[in-house]
Amino acid sequence: MPDYMIELRDVTKRYGDLVANDNVTLQIRRGELMTLLGPSGCGKTTALRCITGHNIPDEGRVFIDGEDVTDVPTYKRELGMVFQSFALFPHMTVFGNVEFPLMIRRMNKAERREWVMDALRMIRMEEYEDHYPRQISGGQQQRVGLARALVYRPKVLLLDEPLSNLDAKLREEMRFEIRDLIDRLGITAVYVTHDQAEALALSDRVAVRNAGHIEQVGMPDEIYDLPQTRFVADFIGLSEFLAGTLSAVHTEERTATVAVDGLEIHVPATPEMAPGRKVLFFIRPNDIELLPASQESGINVFVGVVEKKTYLGDRSDYRVRVSEGLELRVQTDGKVRFEEGENVKVHLPIPHCRVIVE
Amino acid sequence: MLKRGSKARFILITLLLLSPGLLTFFLLFFYPMMVTLTRSLRPEGEQIGWTLEHYVTFLAEPRAREVILLTFVLSIGAVLCSVLLSIPLGLALRQKLRAHRFYRLTMITPRVVPGLIGALGLLLLFGSRGWVNLFLIRFVPFVNEPISINYTIPGLILFYTWLYFPFIALTTLAALEGLDPAIEEAADVAGANRWQVLRHVVIPLITPAILAGSVLTFMAAFGAFSIPLIAGGNHRPLSVEIYRQIDFTPARWSAASARAMIMAVLQVIFLTIYMRVLRRPIT
Ligand SMILES: Nc1ncnc2c1ncn2[C@@H]1O[C@H](COP(=O)(O)OP(=O)(O)O)[C@@H](O)[C@H]1O
Ligand SMILES: [Mg+2]
Repeated sequence: MPDYMIELRDVTKRYGDLVANDNVTLQIRRGELMTLLGPSGCGKTTALRCITGHNIPDEGRVFIDGEDVTDVPTYKRELGMVFQSFALFPHMTVFGNVEFPLMIRRMNKAERREWVMDALRMIRMEEYEDHYPRQISGGQQQRVGLARALVYRPKVLLLDEPLSNLDAKLREEMRFEIRDLIDRLGITAVYVTHDQAEALALSDRVAVRNAGHIEQVGMPDEIYDLPQTRFVADFIGLSEFLAGTLSAVHTEERTATVAVDGLEIHVPATPEMAPGRKVLFFIRPNDIELLPASQESGINVFVGVVEKKTYLGDRSDYRVRVSEGLELRVQTDGKVRFEEGENVKVHLPIPHCRVIVE
Repeated sequence: MLKRGSKARFILITLLLLSPGLLTFFLLFFYPMMVTLTRSLRPEGEQIGWTLEHYVTFLAEPRAREVILLTFVLSIGAVLCSVLLSIPLGLALRQKLRAHRFYRLTMITPRVVPGLIGALGLLLLFGSRGWVNLFLIRFVPFVNEPISINYTIPGLILFYTWLYFPFIALTTLAALEGLDPAIEEAADVAGANRWQVLRHVVIPLITPAILAGSVLTFMAAFGAFSIPLIAGGNHRPLSVEIYRQIDFTPARWSAASARAMIMAVLQVIFLTIYMRVLRRPIT
């Protein structure tokens, strides 16, 4: 039997007519960092609250460390949680905030002090022990939030969009700080975010959510390279989607060809492919190569005209008309430049071509 | 970038804007205060001469201490009862339970009923043949005869509470609804049960607001008049004591004024405390 730290088994949670979590099953392994990723309103917080006990599922069971906790009140679940709004106790100092869980557990004063200072050192906030939350910055408040959640060594750390209220630069720094802390403590963590970059950078595994259900669970590179649904491909980075039909499967080359709007595009073959099936072809704009018109033709090389060019600093974004009804979006690094109206060739490298059989 | 003369104009405009306030202050506060102060220092019925006898005679009476003490007991009692009642009520109402709007409305009705009518109604309700006593005798074991509530100090505190509860309840409810729910969730994830969340997080966070509301309510209750006049019986707080001086023929205006000044001084002391409370950092 696999060793799961957290398990949601067929959990359904409704708010009136709205089904915020529809028969969700999710297994989180001991010591892994699992991210719930999805657009705002897709029920991530609701799922997390089923783990904390702030929401009681209408159907299904919740297990923590093998124990059915569905009917166990929040305060007995031994969890640590970090909030988007930090949620520090405004009437307590930094020290008091971190001490709170230990005080509730009736640890003696001297030992408490030791544990709190350990936790504060861990987040480099030991000089701020006497400050009130309103006297320190947002980033510092969230670090105190982390210390408060971790100080009593809970079984699981839950984080609900912990970095969304911080500015972009700090967000990236703290991403690594959080990952670092979690690695050092070896704790199981559930991280909720709507930011795909954050999810890919931090997670051991990602569960991509869409409107009340989970679309795909996998390691970040699986999610990125092998999305199984259009929603996942779309949500994890920009993608171009083209509807087409499988025209041939070449068994020995392990490729197939897809007819898309008069073009024959070669793609890697998968077992469920059969000629005649409708498929959704997609490729990420930054995986497409843009070449001068003088370049030789070859497999997956098509002629086109630059219709529009947008300069984005480190990249350029082109819209290239490849055929009458087909315009491709291409992103290149800044080195090779093309102008609007210029004739070009586009190359769709086979390994980056993806197909979802419908 | 100020234009020449704009400063003078600025001052003029400021004065103009302030004048209604200043005028009101002068007419409605300063002038009556000065008249009362002067009156309290004149011999009874005279327009000339100065004396402290009204203060001295009143304060020397053993009754004086009783009256002042009673005034404190009634107003502090009403505030304490209101606070204690308002916390559970606020906790229940903020859950947005069914018909919570109706309860909110009911809560403030004592402010809509004129004090006089309210007092009479309460006397009837709590009288020896009122509904409360009928209910107690009928349903509560060992209560076989009416409990006297009217014209007792606990009864008076009860009536005061009825009248002043809405102020406190509104403050408490506003404070509770102003709390970030995530803060309480943080506390219970951290291991605090409901009682511990209340004691260590909710109460400390709403205390500054409740304190501020309480001091204001206390000051209002300190001057309460219609309830103790009608329902006080022999228990007379300062306000009724003042009124009684005027009720004599001929009216004892100087004696009444001296008592009024004593009351004013006590209230100023409390106002000072109130300002202190407000100046404490409210987090
Ligand atoms: N207490 C609630 N009452 C009614 N609807 C709610 C409540 N909490 C969340 N919802 C709704 O449930 C859906 C999922 O919410 P939530 O879990 O907070 O999403 P996310 O965290 O992914 O943004 C949203 O449409 C939201 O409006
Ligand atoms: Mg959310």
